[in-house]
Amino acid sequence: MVESFHEFVVHRSPALCRTAYLLTGDHQLAEDLVQTALARTYRHWRRVRDGNPEAYVRRVMYHQQVSWWRRRRLVERLEAELTERADTDHSEATTLRLSLDAALRQLTPRQRAVIVLRYYEDLTEAQVADALGCTLGTVKRHGHDGLRRLRAVAPELVDATAERSTR
Amino acid sequence: MTARLREALRSTAEGVPAYPVYERALATARRDRRRRLTAATGALLVLVVAGVALPLARTPAPGPAATADATLPDRVGLPPIGTLHVTDRPRLGPASVIFDGPAPRLHGWNDINVVGVVDADSDSYRIMRMGGESLAGESVHLSPDGRYLARPDGDQDDPRVDVIDLVTGRTQRLTSTVDRSVSSSPVGWSADGGSLVVRDDVPVTFEGATYTTVLSAVTVGEKRWTRLAATAEEAHVGSVVAAAPGRLAYQYGRTVAVTDLDGREQSSFALPDETWLAGKGAWRPDGAALTLATRRSETDEWTLRQVDPTTGRDVGPLRLPAVSGVVAIRLLGWAPDGSALVAAYEPDPLAPDPPLEEQTDPPATSDQQVHTVRVLALTPGATAPRTVLTAPDQVVAVDVADQVIRSGRIRDARPPGGVGGRFWLWSGLLTVLVTVSMLYVGRQRIALWLDDRRVKRACRPARPGRQRPTWTAR
Repeated sequence: MVESFHEFVVHRSPALCRTAYLLTGDHQLAEDLVQTALARTYRHWRRVRDGNPEAYVRRVMYHQQVSWWRRRRLVERLEAELTERADTDHSEATTLRLSLDAALRQLTPRQRAVIVLRYYEDLTEAQVADALGCTLGTVKRHGHDGLRRLRAVAPELVDATAERSTR
Repeated sequence: MTARLREALRSTAEGVPAYPVYERALATARRDRRRRLTAATGALLVLVVAGVALPLARTPAPGPAATADATLPDRVGLPPIGTLHVTDRPRLGPASVIFDGPAPRLHGWNDINVVGVVDADSDSYRIMRMGGESLAGESVHLSPDGRYLARPDGDQDDPRVDVIDLVTGRTQRLTSTVDRSVSSSPVGWSADGGSLVVRDDVPVTFEGATYTTVLSAVTVGEKRWTRLAATAEEAHVGSVVAAAPGRLAYQYGRTVAVTDLDGREQSSFALPDETWLAGKGAWRPDGAALTLATRRSETDEWTLRQVDPTTGRDVGPLRLPAVSGVVAIRLLGWAPDGSALVAAYEPDPLAPDPPLEEQTDPPATSDQQVHTVRVLALTPGATAPRTVLTAPDQVVAVDVADQVIRSGRIRDARPPGGVGGRFWLWSGLLTVLVTVSMLYVGRQRIALWLDDRRVKRACRPARPGRQRPTWTAR
C-alpha cells in the first residue's frame, strides 16, 4: 500500500532527523537539512513514492550536506552550550557522545557521511557507494581516512584493532 | 572492532528529537515551485518577445512597396555616434540618399571615411566605412533603385569594386580583370541597375608615373567586363557618366562619347569651353537629348542646356533657372514635373583658388573647395532654384537614387539624434562583461554573504512550536 507524504514524514522523520544530526553535528543545520530534503522529495513524490522514498531522502541529505559544506567551507560553529553541559554531566554515555561530536567535526562531510552510513546505518561499502553516488574505491578511501582521523583525535572511539581490521 | 564507535553513534542519535519539519517542508516545496513557475514564465516571455522581435529584425523582403514609397528627405543630418552599419541587422533596405564629407562624424580614425546612408522612406540611417577617399556620386554610387551601393575596395595588387546589397547585407566583389590595373573605382550605374561602369588606372611605365584610364561596363550578376574606352589619365574619362536605357554617355577630355553597354560607340561630339556633361542625370527622360552644364565666367552662373546626343548641337532651351554662387553643379535627374534636380556645391570661403592649369578641368567638388552641398530643383519657368535637400556643413558630396528623383516626392525629414544601435549593443555587452567580471572577482564574498544569511536565518530564536532539543541522555 502506498502511503501519503504526510504518513511517510510522520513515520520516518525521527530516523531521518537522527541521521541528519550525525551528518551535520548541529540541530539547526540538521533540521534545515531534513526540511530541504523533504521539500525536494515532496516535489518528486509521485515519482519516488512507489520505490524507496526514504533512500531518496537520505541521498538528498548526503548530497545537500556536501553542497552546503562546499559553500561555507567548513565554517563550523562551536557549541558552547554543549561544553557547559559536559561539565555538569560526567556519565560515560555523555562523555562518549561529546567525544564523538568533537571528533566528527574534524571530518569532511564525505568522510562523515561514510562513517555514519557504515557504522550507524550498518550499510556495506557497496551500499554506501550506491547511496552517495560514488565509486567503491572512493568509499574505501573516505572510510579509511575518516577512521584514521577519528583515531587521531578520539582514540577512545576507535581502538587499534579496529583500524587493523579495516585494512 | 568499531564497537565503541557504533555505540557512540547510536547513543548520540538516540538523543536527537524528531524535528517538526512537515509544514515547513511543504511551504519550502511550494515556494520553490512558485519560483520555478515564475522563472519558467519569465523564460517563456523572453522567448515570446524574441519570437516577435526576430522576425522584425529579419531581412525585409525587397518589394514594390519599398520603391513606391521612396521619397527625398528635405535634409540630412550627421549620423549619430554608434549608428548601425549597412550590413548590420536589421537591414536598411533600399536607400534614398547617400552623403559624405570631412564632417566630424563622417571621418574616423586611421583615415577612415564614413558614408551616410538614408532609408528610402524613413529617417533611418546607416553608415558605410571606407578605407580610402570617398565622394558620394563620384566614387561611391547608389544604384537606380537604391538597393545597391558600389564602392572601390582592395589594394593595388588586387583592385576591385564592392557592391553591397542593402536588402540582404551581402557584398559582391567585382575583382578587376583589367590587365595591370592598380586601382578600380565605380563611376556610375547603367539605367537598369544591372551593370556598373568602372574606371581602372593602369600604369604606363614600370615606375607608375603616368597612367592609362580604362573604362569598363561590368554586369553585376555575371561579372562580365566589357571595355568601353581607354584614354590617358589626363582626359579624366569617366569623371561623368550618364546612363539611359541601353546607352551610356561619358566625357573624356573635351569630348562626349555615346556608346552602348557592349562598348560600341554610337556618336561623339566636342564640348564648347566652360561646358561639361551635366551629371549622371544628363540624359533627358525621353533619351532624346543630353544635358550639358555651362559656367558663365563673367557672371559665375551655371546653366543647363540640352543638345543632340549625336551632333552635340543645341535642341532648344530648357527655360530652367540658373544657379549662381556655387563651385559646380551635377545633374542628378529629372522629376516628373520636369524639374532638374542638381547637387550644388557651395564654395568654402577659405579655400584657395585652384591653380590655373586645373581651371579647365571638370568642376572640382573635392572637400578642399566645397563647404557644403545642397540639392536644388530647377523648375521650368521658375526664376530661381528651389532647395529640396540641405546638408550640414562639411558634407560635401551627395547622391540620390534615381527612383527617388523619379517619384517627385519630398518629405519633412527629422534626422536621428542621440546615439545609434551599435552604441547600445556595445554598451549592453560591456555592462554584461563588467557585471560578470565583478561577480567572478567577488564570488567568494558573495558566497560568504549568502552563507552568512543562511546561518543567521538558521540561528534565529526558535519559532513557536520549534522546540530546542535537550541533551538528556536516554
